[in-house]
Amino acid sequence: MCDTCGCPSPSDHTHDHSHNHSNPKTIDVHASLFAANDALARVNREHFDEIGAVALNLISSPGSGKTTLLEHTIEALKGEINIAVIEGDIETERDAERIRAKGVPVIQLTTGGACHLDAAMTHKGFHRLQKEPGGDKIDLLFIENVGNLVCPATFDLGEHERVVFVSVPEGPDKPSKYPKAFISSQTFVITKTDLLPYFDFPVAEARGDALRLNPNLRTMELASTTGEGMETWLNYLRELVAAKKAQKNV
Amino acid sequence: MHEISLVQGLFQQLKDLADENSAQKITRVTMEIGPLCGVVLDSFQFGFEILSADDEMLRGAKLIVKIPDVSYKCTECGHVEVIAGPRPEECPKCKDLLLIPTGGEDLILLQVEME
Repeated sequence: MCDTCGCPSPSDHTHDHSHNHSNPKTIDVHASLFAANDALARVNREHFDEIGAVALNLISSPGSGKTTLLEHTIEALKGEINIAVIEGDIETERDAERIRAKGVPVIQLTTGGACHLDAAMTHKGFHRLQKEPGGDKIDLLFIENVGNLVCPATFDLGEHERVVFVSVPEGPDKPSKYPKAFISSQTFVITKTDLLPYFDFPVAEARGDALRLNPNLRTMELASTTGEGMETWLNYLRELVAAKKAQKNV
Repeated sequence: MHEISLVQGLFQQLKDLADENSAQKITRVTMEIGPLCGVVLDSFQFGFEILSADDEMLRGAKLIVKIPDVSYKCTECGHVEVIAGPRPEECPKCKDLLLIPTGGEDLILLQVEME
């Protein structure tokens, strides 16, 4: 406080004005800036629970192979698990078109510049998704976030689990450089392992760095195009869906 | 730069508070920014600066930032290290690398001064 007049910002102004500030007031607020998003995220989660769907928030840099993995996952689980997808990108419908070609309900959220999805966008997106053909019967919802390892980590969308991906060409230092994404996730997947012979990517080091940040992380490695490691991924999804069904039937 | 959208949300909250209290100016805003909340302090301050300069109600408002402590519990020996600075590389007691943090994940509007 300013010693001269008691006004709140001593360094911001000279004392050439009169000092009849009208009712200066200090208010203790103590409100989280994430509160609005988190409240809506809880609503989303309850909604997913109600319809018995597992929701996964997929986070990675652009080009880590998320969409390709989803294409292969949909193929592999066809007839077994009802999958639906919310695609988040800054621009274009391209990812949604790739998923739609696989015959599952999908909607594209284009953020028009924003670097992440939030709970409000997810909420609107999910209502649109439910109106798509097949959208009334969803066991497993993938929410593919905007390609970015930084900002999406801060926003709860209402997912049950968060999966973070790093592809071999990106290098093994991503967990150390972008800790929040790894701290806030339940599962860490290294993708494009078919390229390991061509890149310097010590898998154990990447995995170790991630576990150091978050000792509870589940880790797996796979290559969607060759199928290597896919069974571990698919079993993880099967277990999540089975657990949700069991929960719903209690 | 999600910090800008967070500052925009904050300003909306501040304006609502000012309206409720029939105030014309926000003069000082005190925030708690957790070291693990995924917000870059410099970007948040920058966002506050440029957006407040453009806003009648917030022009000249001062931003005060408090950084809370984070507890890191060693998974090996159970030692708890409490610090506000960067994440410790290893447990200072047993040198184990697996530490679980608690706290420091929130971004909180603590106090507002208005007139």
